[in-house]
Amino acid sequence: MSDKENIHISSYKEHVSTWLALILLTFMTVFVSVFGAELRTLSVATAMIIATVKATAVGYYFMHLKYDPKIYKIMMATVLGLFVFFMLMITLDYITR
Amino acid sequence: MTVDTLPYTTFFKAKKGIMSWLFTLDHKRVALLYLYSIMTFFLVGASLGILMRLELFHPGKDIVEPHTYNQIFTLHGVIMIFLFIIPSIPAVFGNFFLPLLLGTDDVAFPKLNLFSFWLYVIGALFALGTLVLGDGPADTGWTFYAPYSVRTGTNVTMSVVAAFVLGFSSILTGLNFIVTIHRLRTPGMGFNQMPLFAWSLYATSWIQLLATPVIGITLLMIVAERVFGVGLFDPSIGGDPVLYQHMFWIYSHPAVYIMALPAMGIVSEIIPTFAQRTIFGYKAIAYSSMAIAFIGYFVWGHHMFTSGMSGPAAYIFSILTFLVAIPTSIKVFNWLATLYKGSINIETPLLFALAFIFNFLIGGLTGLVNGALAADIHLHDTYFVVGHFHYVMFGGTGFAFFGALHYWFPKIWGKMYNKKVANTAFATLLIGFNILYFPMIILGIMGMPRRYYDYLPEFTFWNQISTVGSWITVSSLIVLIVNLFVAANKGKKAPDNPWDGITLEWQTKSPPPLENFDKMPKIPEGGPYNYPNAKSSS
Repeated sequence: MSDKENIHISSYKEHVSTWLALILLTFMTVFVSVFGAELRTLSVATAMIIATVKATAVGYYFMHLKYDPKIYKIMMATVLGLFVFFMLMITLDYITR
Repeated sequence: MTVDTLPYTTFFKAKKGIMSWLFTLDHKRVALLYLYSIMTFFLVGASLGILMRLELFHPGKDIVEPHTYNQIFTLHGVIMIFLFIIPSIPAVFGNFFLPLLLGTDDVAFPKLNLFSFWLYVIGALFALGTLVLGDGPADTGWTFYAPYSVRTGTNVTMSVVAAFVLGFSSILTGLNFIVTIHRLRTPGMGFNQMPLFAWSLYATSWIQLLATPVIGITLLMIVAERVFGVGLFDPSIGGDPVLYQHMFWIYSHPAVYIMALPAMGIVSEIIPTFAQRTIFGYKAIAYSSMAIAFIGYFVWGHHMFTSGMSGPAAYIFSILTFLVAIPTSIKVFNWLATLYKGSINIETPLLFALAFIFNFLIGGLTGLVNGALAADIHLHDTYFVVGHFHYVMFGGTGFAFFGALHYWFPKIWGKMYNKKVANTAFATLLIGFNILYFPMIILGIMGMPRRYYDYLPEFTFWNQISTVGSWITVSSLIVLIVNLFVAANKGKKAPDNPWDGITLEWQTKSPPPLENFDKMPKIPEGGPYNYPNAKSSS
């Protein structure tokens, strides 16, 4: 990796914006779990989607994935894809029993 | 005096004292620490297996009570899976040979490597601690299926904590290998110039890294349910036992490839050496390792066809299961093609590699029978599964492990074993192994359930044949191990490259020096299976 790739300084604006987004998404999770409890599976699915968005934001901005070579993004996407497959197959089993 | 014959300090003699071993950062010494520990637990696990076979010699009670039998087969499984098979090839031969095969001096994180070993020891102490603490070892089987694992009074919590800690050891080893392969390859060695054992370790490491955390959290959920009564898996408190099976097998099926892929890597190293030609279909073998690791994530449901899982999910898992056979058969084809018209030199390691192919084919094909939905209804939870599993694990990985031990023995210790004794031990082991496990496949088709303490009289004959096989197997293993033990201490000095090996690890001295190579290795033209040996330079 070249020196140019090693040097990347994120702006305060980017950090604070990401942090605010994470706080907002946390409130959304709480809101859905409290007011959408009767939706059962849908409320769980919503919470999982919000958690995934939060994890992606942390990886991309706070852990500097956005500056990393493409191969690391592909690795992260593969892992996320595997997790989605796990959830889909278990859900498929439940709803088709 | 040439450079090659100059005296040097081997990694054995670079530092002295017990502390230099217990807290070593040298990957070769860590590998040997693993080897001695793993072999110890293998002998414990094998002893428990012998006890099971003795108990099953006649219907009814022979030597132990039913409850003790349940604990014995659980401890046998936990020790053999978590303490032997999973760490065996990666932790021993991966640690020793990955840096040598990549042309570097150590793994990326030597301290993390040592930490992994000590986590392994701590996990092992937890597993063996169940023998003397609480209400004895778990009696659930190594799968810890809920809801029984939540309700039984035996020491499930401690067994589960053992598996949890051992999982961390496995994750850290995988992480270390991935970084080593990405960062420490010798200059000029691209991914497609890596030896195939390194490729197989790379594929394995991704499974260790991504799948093991799932079993970690699942086992902690069992503890949470037992200790705090959280309703996760036990239907009487609102849980779902099928969810446990999903989560358990999301890890434990890919874990089968943690066990099998490094063994395939070993075979890919042994065959070109003893065929004296470069490997046939390098890229096909390398990429099929990655394909097996990848597809292996999607097939866990085939363990659950009779669990009450839905029909549509079962169809999908059955189809995906058959896909795994494709990259596996690609490997077998390429191994045989490498042998074809090769200058074959029949030595003990090659015999183990060929036995691997034979046993693994039986294990793989019986696996496809289990993967077929209709056949599985009859065969699920019968001795057919036990036979299939042991053909893959012992006949496959076990034989590859012992093949690797004989192959790299002169490189590790710089000495040679008695080949006649080794060949005799191999032959009797192969015979004993098949007498031990093939009757299980027959018993399963006849309908004998697995994990049962007692059985119907019509199953007696094959059970007794199987038990006789266990005696031959264990006797062979004792001869095999004693032969190597004697050779390590009093064996004749072996040359640096006794097999005329054509891969990088044979380019250094035996045993290797602390830094592995005197100078930075260069990649030969024609790939990683084209290094010079005595024949090519003469």
